Amino acid sequence: MGDMMEILLLPLLACVLMTVILGFLGIHVLKREVVFIDISLAQIAALGAITAHLALGAGHDSVLSHGCALGATFLAAAFFAYARRTVMDIPLEAIIGVTYAIAAGATLFAAGVATGGHVHIQGLLAGSILWTTWGQILSAMVAFALVGACFFLCRSPFNAISEDYENARAKGIRVVLWDFLFYALFGVVITLSVRMAGVVVVFAFLIIPATASALFSTREFPRLIMAWGIGIAASVMGLLSAYRWDYSVGPSVAAFLGLLLILAALGRSCLGRANAQLKKRP
Amino acid sequence: MSETLRFFLLQTTLLGIVLILHTYLGLHIIRRTLVFSDLVLDQLAAFGMLAAVGLGIEYGGTEAYLASLVAVIFGAALLALLKPSNPLIPREAVIGILYALALVASLLLGDKLPGGGAYVTKTLAGSMLWVSWPLVGVTAVVYAALLAFHFAFRAQFIGLTQNSGKIKNERLWDFLFFTTQGIITVLIVPVAGVLLAYAFLMIPAATAAMFTNKWKGAVVLGWSLGFVSCLAGLGASHRYDLPYGPSLVLALGALFIGSVFVRSVLPRRIPTNVNEAS
Repeated sequence: MGDMMEILLLPLLACVLMTVILGFLGIHVLKREVVFIDISLAQIAALGAITAHLALGAGHDSVLSHGCALGATFLAAAFFAYARRTVMDIPLEAIIGVTYAIAAGATLFAAGVATGGHVHIQGLLAGSILWTTWGQILSAMVAFALVGACFFLCRSPFNAISEDYENARAKGIRVVLWDFLFYALFGVVITLSVRMAGVVVVFAFLIIPATASALFSTREFPRLIMAWGIGIAASVMGLLSAYRWDYSVGPSVAAFLGLLLILAALGRSCLGRANAQLKKRP
Repeated sequence: MSETLRFFLLQTTLLGIVLILHTYLGLHIIRRTLVFSDLVLDQLAAFGMLAAVGLGIEYGGTEAYLASLVAVIFGAALLALLKPSNPLIPREAVIGILYALALVASLLLGDKLPGGGAYVTKTLAGSMLWVSWPLVGVTAVVYAALLAFHFAFRAQFIGLTQNSGKIKNERLWDFLFFTTQGIITVLIVPVAGVLLAYAFLMIPAATAAMFTNKWKGAVVLGWSLGFVSCLAGLGASHRYDLPYGPSLVLALGALFIGSVFVRSVLPRRIPTNVNEAS
């Protein structure tokens, strides 16, 4: 029992941290219909890191490598904010999706030039949340708190743009600037989370709790609480079953998030039917 | 010299054939904002292959292809059936979740297979250099058949994109749409890899959709721009000995980013019905 606690404590803390910040961001992402943003920014951060490694010889966990990864995501954030404003003919989601393809192509290109690149790609996908360190947890905690504070301070323009882009623009909000800030802050969270947990798990934490909560409520605060509850429950179940049956931790947590969403959707549809029957009766 | 010439001829033929159908399907996907659907089908094709390996079938054999076809058709059914009625949940979110779950299932299965991780990466990169004439032949025949099918029922398929909710048997047509997308996935992914297949589908179509809202014009524009950039990528990769598949993706990517900036300096068009519907 003590052993298990020792192994699972740090991964659990990492999951809880990610649930809190990603559950909140997920609600915005669904409103903006930019589901691809996590995978795209993660790939761009990886491209920044691998470029730093090739061009400047930066080590895997060095400050320079982190800096280049963040720099690359900021560039992408500026591109998304600019393209959203000027290219109206195709949805932003398509631009983000194409950017992902380009970044992934460039990463494979760089990996083909460098040696040992493929191991890096596999690690990026599945993550290694089991090997989270106290250092990572503390730095994530500080960074997420700062990002959270920024989101709280800027909540009114961010919310206005998430709800209705054109309307926000008409009201005189400087959309490109705020969008840049939004996607840049997003990039910070994604870069740090993906280093801990891998793309798939971060994606699952971002989208699944927000979607499940949308089934039951339309107001932000109850949705947030519900999203957090689902995220934490899935983390605990995923970690325990990964430990018990010896599966990879990250994918197992993501699988439980999916399972909870399916149960929530089934529950919702039963609830809907029961309500409809109640209404039919006089 | 003749060896080089044959190689170029083979590659350009394959690229030319593949790009027609991919551009057309890509236009549908972009106008409907279903960007993730291709990755779902890719990942399910890979999962089917992996499951076949788990059952003791050889990787890349005919039976393994059948297994991935079954997985893809199952995926097409899910994509067509799962449509959230809740306005807070975009359909793209559901498709994204399907992708994540398919990927997670592959990773968990890979955990328990000997050498599973190697297969997971194998499906990402592909092996475009090992294309042969018989493969080009099979691809051409299947693509021609699918193209004829799409042309014959273009009214229904375009209706799905432009007046969703107004055509008969919408779910059936959705299912058929995703099934054709799945069939080309099963064919092209082992050759080109998930990434290149996805780039073929998205980039020419996205580029063309920025400049025209007609279907025929967009297919012609996307095909020609895509084909020219692929030729540039192919030439550069051959001349400077660069990795082949990624060079193609980068050439297409340069096209796309250039087009975004060209689009942003051109006068803006009035948003079209297509965009409002999606």
